[in-house]
Amino acid sequence: MGSYVAALIVAGLSAVSIGWQRTRRRRAQARWQAHIVSLEAHVQRASSERDAIHAAELARLGSEADAREGGLHAALEQARGEADAARAALASAQAEIEYWRADAARLASEAQRLRGLSATFERWHEQMSSLMTQNHDMHQKNQELSAIVSHVLIVSLNASIEAARAGAAGRGFSIVASEVRTLASRSQALSKSYQDSLDRNDLITTATFQDIQAGGKMIVASLGTLGTLAAQLQSKLEQAAA
Amino acid sequence: MAKILVVDDSSTVRDEVAGFLRKSGLEVDTAVDGKDGLAKVRTSPGLKLVISDVNMPNMDGLTMVEKIRGELANAALSVIMLTTESSPAMKDRGKAAGVKGWIVKPFKGEAVIETLKRLAS
Amino acid sequence: MISAHAKESFDRIFRQAARTRLVTVPGGVCEIRPLSDLAPGEAGLADTHRVAVLTISSLSFRLLIALHFGDDPATRGYFAGTGEARQHADAFMEVANLCSGAINQALVDYFPDLGMSTPYVLTNGSVAHWRELRAQHTAFYALAIDTTVKLAATLCVCANAPIDFVAHGTPVEGTSGELELF
Repeated sequence: MGSYVAALIVAGLSAVSIGWQRTRRRRAQARWQAHIVSLEAHVQRASSERDAIHAAELARLGSEADAREGGLHAALEQARGEADAARAALASAQAEIEYWRADAARLASEAQRLRGLSATFERWHEQMSSLMTQNHDMHQKNQELSAIVSHVLIVSLNASIEAARAGAAGRGFSIVASEVRTLASRSQALSKSYQDSLDRNDLITTATFQDIQAGGKMIVASLGTLGTLAAQLQSKLEQAAA
Repeated sequence: MAKILVVDDSSTVRDEVAGFLRKSGLEVDTAVDGKDGLAKVRTSPGLKLVISDVNMPNMDGLTMVEKIRGELANAALSVIMLTTESSPAMKDRGKAAGVKGWIVKPFKGEAVIETLKRLAS
Repeated sequence: MISAHAKESFDRIFRQAARTRLVTVPGGVCEIRPLSDLAPGEAGLADTHRVAVLTISSLSFRLLIALHFGDDPATRGYFAGTGEARQHADAFMEVANLCSGAINQALVDYFPDLGMSTPYVLTNGSVAHWRELRAQHTAFYALAIDTTVKLAATLCVCANAPIDFVAHGTPVEGTSGELELF
């Protein structure tokens, strides 16, 4: 009977133990269940938090993107505006270059035209040459006059000598011869003075002529430089307009 | 048929330069100023080289060259200036007129004869 | 109107040009002596002497250069060689042209626009009237090449604006005679 009781006790203990274990298991299960529920709730919370963060982040990024897009639009508009202004400035600069090109072309053609001044200098040269020839002519004529006067002087001296030889008969003639000598003397003095004037004239004419000739070359040389500069300016502007 | 024309209003220069070139076996003609030079260029088809002074009466050397290039439309003729002028403005005008070279006087034949021979051939 | 510096510079430039261009035979010596006036006796010239005259013109002045030369055998022999009077004058005119050219080249560094005339022969009697030119500066020189060839020079500067510059008379020998190809 003892073992039966023992067995009953054991059974009973087992049943209690089992019951207790079941209860423990149920409690554990319940605890695990509760844990799980709690974790699930956690996960759920975390998930919604994450979603919320995501949403917020997205919203933030979205509005940042919007702002940036707005900024880019504004920048683009500004750039368009600046490009338009630059185009307008370029167009007006090109128009100005056109005017300057026309001016430079006029400058170059005027410089070229003025090179024709060398023909004017040739004309002056011819006129001055004829003046010099006239001067030379006057010299010649004066030389001839001087020679004639010298001769007259000699003749009058001879006449005086002859008159003296003729004695009283030659007295009248002697007076005439003397007057002729006086006139010849004065003519000679006049001729010398005229020679002097011609000499002075020669120097002044030559000096003036040479100044005109040299001055003309100076002007033509300057015009040449001017013409070259004008042509350079013209070609620079033509390149700029192209 | 003269190959070279020497243009200068000074007979001394004409004699000196033409004489020197002739001694080197070249055929040379001479002119007394720009007008004369231009006339001789017109009537001398065999001309290869012109050596010219700048300062001459009647027509100066550079005007003569400008007319050779312009009126005569002769761009093949080589022209060398032999002159006392040395200013850059003058040389520029020469260059623009189509002058090929520039010698500042006095003429030193030995230094230039080879180049002149080449230009006249 | 013409500063002392300018006058000295004209003097230096003339002397340099005379020494290098009037001496046509290499190794020759040109003595240059300034004169207060061109009294013919002092310069060894007679009234019958001829003068080669040239002008250099700039915007502010003109310079008249007169080189007096004689007809004596020494002068003839030195410049022309042959006897004819016209050839002698021609030969000397070219020498005067070279001398003037050298002066022109020296001045062009200080006065960019310069023109030079062609030479012309006058008589001593004409150049004696130099006072008529009313120059602001005149200079006279007696020259002797190798002691035998006697020449004289008259320089007149007429200025229409103040002139002041300093020239050192740098030699132009290096560049002359060579062919510069463009």
